[in-house]
Amino acid sequence: MNRRTLLGGLLATASVPALAACGGGITSLDGGGAGGGGGSSKGGVTIGTANFTENQVLGYLYAAALEAEGVKTSVRPNLGTREILIPALKGGDIDLLPEYQGALLHYLDPKAEATEEGEMQNALAMALPRGLQILPYGRAEDSDAFVVTRDTAKEYGLKSLADLAKHDGELVIGAAPEVKKRTVGAVGLKDVYGVEFKEFKSLDSSGPLVKGALRKGDVDVANLFTTDTDIAAERWVVLTDPKNLIPGQHVVPLIADRKADSTVRKALARLGALLTTRQLTELNRLVDKDKKDPKDVADDWAARHGLTRK
Amino acid sequence: MSVDWSWTADHADELATLTLSHLQAALSAVLLGLVISLPLAVLAHRVRPLRGLLLGLSNVLFTIPSIAVFVLLLPVSGLTRTTTVIGLTIYTLVVLLGNTVEGLDSVPARTKEAAEAMGTRPLRTLLTVELPLALPVIMAGVRIATVMSISLVSVATYIGDGGLGQLFTDGFQRDFPTPVIVGVVLTLLLALVADALLVTVQYVLTPWTRRQRSA
Amino acid sequence: MYELFKDLGAWLVSGEQWTGPDGIGHRLAEHLQYSLLATLVAAAIALPLGLLIGHTGRGAFVAINLASFGRALPTVGLVVLVFLVSGLSMWPVYIALVALAVPSIVTNTYAGMTAVDRDVKDAARGQGMRAHQVLFQVELPLALPLIMTGLRLALIQVVATATIAAYVSFGGLGRYVFDGLAQRDLVQVLGGAVLVAVVAVVLDLALSALQRALFRHRPAQRA
Repeated sequence: MNRRTLLGGLLATASVPALAACGGGITSLDGGGAGGGGGSSKGGVTIGTANFTENQVLGYLYAAALEAEGVKTSVRPNLGTREILIPALKGGDIDLLPEYQGALLHYLDPKAEATEEGEMQNALAMALPRGLQILPYGRAEDSDAFVVTRDTAKEYGLKSLADLAKHDGELVIGAAPEVKKRTVGAVGLKDVYGVEFKEFKSLDSSGPLVKGALRKGDVDVANLFTTDTDIAAERWVVLTDPKNLIPGQHVVPLIADRKADSTVRKALARLGALLTTRQLTELNRLVDKDKKDPKDVADDWAARHGLTRK
Repeated sequence: MSVDWSWTADHADELATLTLSHLQAALSAVLLGLVISLPLAVLAHRVRPLRGLLLGLSNVLFTIPSIAVFVLLLPVSGLTRTTTVIGLTIYTLVVLLGNTVEGLDSVPARTKEAAEAMGTRPLRTLLTVELPLALPVIMAGVRIATVMSISLVSVATYIGDGGLGQLFTDGFQRDFPTPVIVGVVLTLLLALVADALLVTVQYVLTPWTRRQRSA
Repeated sequence: MYELFKDLGAWLVSGEQWTGPDGIGHRLAEHLQYSLLATLVAAAIALPLGLLIGHTGRGAFVAINLASFGRALPTVGLVVLVFLVSGLSMWPVYIALVALAVPSIVTNTYAGMTAVDRDVKDAARGQGMRAHQVLFQVELPLALPLIMTGLRLALIQVVATATIAAYVSFGGLGRYVFDGLAQRDLVQVLGGAVLVAVVAVVLDLALSALQRALFRHRPAQRA
């Protein structure tokens, strides 16, 4: 745990997440509340996105929704992982980030127990460091899934994450490198289900490496996103999660207080209420399979749903 | 594997922006590298004990993987262009410092002595005699550093920058060869054009080397 | 900074960090395997090419400009391109590393060959030596210092660049750099970077020792 404090020390603007839980972290009290506070989107909002397709689609959707309300935006695609993005948000390199409830909560507080959406929203508000806030979560959800091929499922008798524990030290898991250290990942699988893998292979976030490795049999278990259309297309088996290791993962905007004014809140709330999981999945497919630009796909969707400049 | 030409045509604006951003990062690094290496090279040239130290240090820096340098700079300069430029600058030093020292060494001692005998001050000798005579070797270094930087910019795509390098990660994530091929070709073209321009600059800056050749 | 280096020390000496599939021992072996194999393959391609161009004088333009082209080639782009063709395999890594190493070796070998005094070659021919004898007994030994410089330069670049193997799912010391980036674990990144630099410096020193050993016999005296 030494490393964590070291990293905190290295970040000039970092504040320790745990301190925020002592109070003052609740969204509505934290400045930038509806209609007031210190936040202003006048100077424009820089949206950062993580290194996988869907997050870029969401980033451009946020941009479209904000532009529709007259807020200037710029999108910085493909910046890296949550571990890189949140310090960048605190440091001011970016202002807004499409996040996922459960994954964000476990990043901020690895011991968090909330699983229901409302609970998670409160827990998030408590766990967030000073200067950052979450806005209301949207309808769309993209969760983590641990999948195996049908052959592997048959061979090892795998239906749920609990079944993995029966094969201690036999199976290889493939996931993005950061998943090795995450609760919703190797750490949680061990703590909650007692699963010990033979090896953790560092690959990517539901991308070509992890899916390629699963197809080739280089890994037995793969961490993918539930909005990945390849899961159904390849008839991969999603392992069930009887002990609720994987929390709900509704899309939720994470924003710096300095930019969270009422215009931004309203625009993102409207988007959140419109965008469904099915639609988001389809937008991902258009980008990944049809090679459309995430920006075009997002702008089209926004135009079709009335999110345009009046 | 084939190139989707309609994609290329549709993205002409974006490609131009990325190319310019790419060039800006590389050129900033070379300029910054020059500003740092010139005084250090003079120091290494004059003070013998420092020479091995400085050249050795720049050589060791060269062996560090560039991705690691970019990541290690994150606590200092974050996800910004500054991180990219500082990282690239480190790699220009090995060439710029080495060549500038070599260029200064190549100035004949007699030439310097003659200048001093005429009462020219040391700083003036450096600026008006030594550096101009060292220019061909320095410029050779600038050319190498520029081409190298242009190639290296793309590594910064791992920290969300990287100019044309963004086309590589994008194409990788989406199993889409077109942006990757276009990115590689544009990088090579950029390097070629920059190098040709530098040759021209050198030709203009060092007229005496031409006269010698034609004489 | 002090904290970072203190943690680096702890990272480097912890026994746990050295064992297992993600241990330093294994990653180091992988890194050496990628680097040495790629440099050997590159040398097998580039040395004959450089010698041929230098000996015959044909294709000099290629030899001179190849280095510049090699420097301009973006390794990340090349790795991704080969990946999209070959899928999950070692091809992207090896092709990119060989492409990186070949130009330095060709250009330096050629430069070494052209630096051999024409009189020396003429004298050798005058003594009745055949073309291959001139090449292998006169030109090659005289060109060796520059050839070795090319090999050393290539090896250093390859060792630093072999980090990229981790981007396409493979191992080597780059694993620490890419995993450390994803996890924002700077100690791991620094550890990987330092190990790569140490490998590069040690291999360079080894090659330079080899070079000195080779030059104990002066080629001119043998001829």
